[in-house]
Amino acid sequence: MTSILSTKNLNLSYGSKQVLYDIDLPFEEKSVTALIGPSGCGKSTLLRCMNRMNDLIPDCKITGDILYRGENITKSDPVLLRRKIGMVFQRPNPFPKSIYDNIAYGPRAHGTKDVKILDDIVENSLKGAVLWDEVKDRLHESALGLSGGQQQRLCIARTLAVNPDVILMDEPCSALDPIATTKIEQLILDLKKNYTVIIVTHNMQQAARISDITGFMYLGKLIETGKTELIFSNPQEELTERYITGRFG
Amino acid sequence: MNTHLKSGWKETGIKSVWLATALIAASVVVFILGYLVLTSIPIFFETGVSGFLFNSVWNPTGVVPSYGIAALLIDTLLVTFGAMIFAVPLGIICAVFLAYLAPQKVRDIVKPAIELLAGIPSVVYGFFGMVVLCSLLQNVLDIPSGFSWLAASILLGIMALPTIVSVSEDALYVVPKDYTEASLGLGATKWQTISRVLIPAAASGISAAVILGMGRAIGETMAVMMVAGNAAVIPSPIWDVLSPVRTLTATLGIELAEVASGSMHYYALFGVAAVLLLITLVINLISVRITKKIQSGGSVFSIPAQIKKILMLCGMIFAVCILMYALGIIPTLILTVIVFGLFFLRRIMSHKSIERTAFGIIYAGTFLVIGILFVILANIFINGIPAISWEFLTTAPRNMGLEGGIYPAIIGTLQLVGGAILLALPIGIGSAIYLHEYSRNNLLTRLLRTGNDLLAGTPSVVFGVFGFAFLVIFLGWGVCMLAGMICLALMVLPTIIKTTEEALRSVPNSLREASLGLGATKWQTLKKVVLPSAAPGILTGTILSIGRAAGETAPIMFTAVVFSKRFISMDLFDPVMALPFHLYVLSTSVPGSETQQYGTAVVLICLVMAIYLVAIVIRKRFQKRLL
Repeated sequence: MTSILSTKNLNLSYGSKQVLYDIDLPFEEKSVTALIGPSGCGKSTLLRCMNRMNDLIPDCKITGDILYRGENITKSDPVLLRRKIGMVFQRPNPFPKSIYDNIAYGPRAHGTKDVKILDDIVENSLKGAVLWDEVKDRLHESALGLSGGQQQRLCIARTLAVNPDVILMDEPCSALDPIATTKIEQLILDLKKNYTVIIVTHNMQQAARISDITGFMYLGKLIETGKTELIFSNPQEELTERYITGRFG
Repeated sequence: MNTHLKSGWKETGIKSVWLATALIAASVVVFILGYLVLTSIPIFFETGVSGFLFNSVWNPTGVVPSYGIAALLIDTLLVTFGAMIFAVPLGIICAVFLAYLAPQKVRDIVKPAIELLAGIPSVVYGFFGMVVLCSLLQNVLDIPSGFSWLAASILLGIMALPTIVSVSEDALYVVPKDYTEASLGLGATKWQTISRVLIPAAASGISAAVILGMGRAIGETMAVMMVAGNAAVIPSPIWDVLSPVRTLTATLGIELAEVASGSMHYYALFGVAAVLLLITLVINLISVRITKKIQSGGSVFSIPAQIKKILMLCGMIFAVCILMYALGIIPTLILTVIVFGLFFLRRIMSHKSIERTAFGIIYAGTFLVIGILFVILANIFINGIPAISWEFLTTAPRNMGLEGGIYPAIIGTLQLVGGAILLALPIGIGSAIYLHEYSRNNLLTRLLRTGNDLLAGTPSVVFGVFGFAFLVIFLGWGVCMLAGMICLALMVLPTIIKTTEEALRSVPNSLREASLGLGATKWQTLKKVVLPSAAPGILTGTILSIGRAAGETAPIMFTAVVFSKRFISMDLFDPVMALPFHLYVLSTSVPGSETQQYGTAVVLICLVMAIYLVAIVIRKRFQKRLL
């Protein structure tokens, strides 16, 4: 497999506080990579580097390279980059608009005006996020009326509508109940066929269930990375073993 | 057992005190509203409701008097409409800048500065309008007189700007940051995020801001009276912005002092006051609706796209028609071509250049707003500071205010404000405590809340009308300090009740439960836990009321003040001088007194600003403590 996205010697600090230390991590195309680690280990921060969401935070300094298909993203246009590398957030955050307008938001922002094309995108994206059957009769009702799990799938559909290459997910199930979580996990396994998924989670079982590769982070450093079965069955580092066996802090 | 009994009596006693204040407040509210409406009844018998509202001739002192307020009503709407046309876009632009584009440091300075400007007394704006704006219009447009609809609208727009900016900015600022992340994460530009997600999400709050600004414009008396020209005519043609106009509030301000009590003219003025109350009521109902929508999280404007398109088309056709009449066919054609050209250009422009253009417009608009407000302050201070001397601050006026100083006016203002606060504060805070801590939803609280909301939005001149008719004439007190204090107290009472209740509401219930759960009585809980937490909020509300009372002219000009007085009097039944009224008379009736006018304006602004500054500092410190 080829790596579609990789970090080289990545360091990041907020003001004087360094958050990430020398991260070198390749991500493989059409696979699911999980980033695990205790709270505050920098896994979300690392994820947000991939589509430059950290640009929004003042005093955030980044050194090192992030290569996306061979291009260094720290020098590219963040707006164009985010069209290729989409993101799903921790809490479902649909816009206070209709379901349809939520999905059509991205394509419209990128200049699609044709209603027929938009209709198709909305339908396909909702089908892609396994939400179509539940909402097809109320596309023009407010998205805020959906349940939490449906809202999160809507947010995934909204990301799919932009037709990205990579999808970043920042603890997408942490605000959901077990049933909704199962549905999202199923969806992530489906998405792998067409997209590269990078997911941050603090639920180790989830990482074990859905990911191909797992990276374990601790205090801003990437401790270990490898095939998920290996990480969970035979970790090389003592820190990793202590974390996945629950003997931590 | 004995101590238990004692505590029980004390609790009941304290509760009755709060109940009593609430009863006083409620009866005052009901009495004012009732008095105004009842006194206006004779005019409706004389002319009929439609004769009063739809007859456009207002000539109450003619040989054959005519009491139709249609012209006044239309002028009021035109002036307000004109003010909103430029205050709303500029205000929103400025709010967007502060909420999303300004660096945190700039926002921390500019936001309070703009809020401070909301506190400049209206008479000062009126004074600026007379000496600067009207003569500017007269020279630039080469017209015989600058006193016009245009002048009034510009001035009211400037006055409404701080309110619109401040309230819209609040609404924009609290839009969840999640929306920004979601939109940017989808590859939208910053401008697309602002225009397609953030502004629509804040639409309810922004419309509340616009309604509030509109209320302020409709209720304004002094500034309009000083620059509008005051001819009770409908502009002809209707878009002639250079025509003089006269609003409902200005009519009260001009005619009340000269009217014979009990004449039909007198009742007609009460009719005008009643109409103003009705307008306030309508505005209140609309804003209550919007607030409810905000709380339920829905969007106010859920118009289907199809109807939206039709409405837009109708609006465009309407605008083109008006332009054709006003400017002629050729300029309209050129304008239309330009507009469509811009629209077309937008389609072929890249997202980047659209964003750059939009941000350029926002920066320019903000610069304009801050520039206007800066020019007003600079003009007044540059011309006013030289007028201030020790003599000016410490002696009484002589020779029609052309010599001497304003000492009695400073003291008079302090007396009026002090008295008003002494009257309003105990009743206001007591009623709020009763409303929020001691009562459930009952008839008294509903009555008090509804009446209070109505009075809070009522034009200040209406309180002057009430005070003049009831205190000065009916009770026979004559023009005196006490009448002025009561009018100002009535004016600020609704604000004090509202802000105190809000401050009490912001104290979490868990604190009360914690205290009660430890066996404290209700009064102990209130005294030791609730009131200390709510104190900064209550204090801020009170201080803002003091500032507002100090700058008001309309409620005291028929009830408490005289233009010139040599001595300071402590007798409540003596008339006093006051700074805002002094400035009003100097600028409208004493030619050649520019120096004194500017001097008085500076002293008045400094007084009010100092009061507001204290409030802002208290709020800032309190916010820091919470963090």
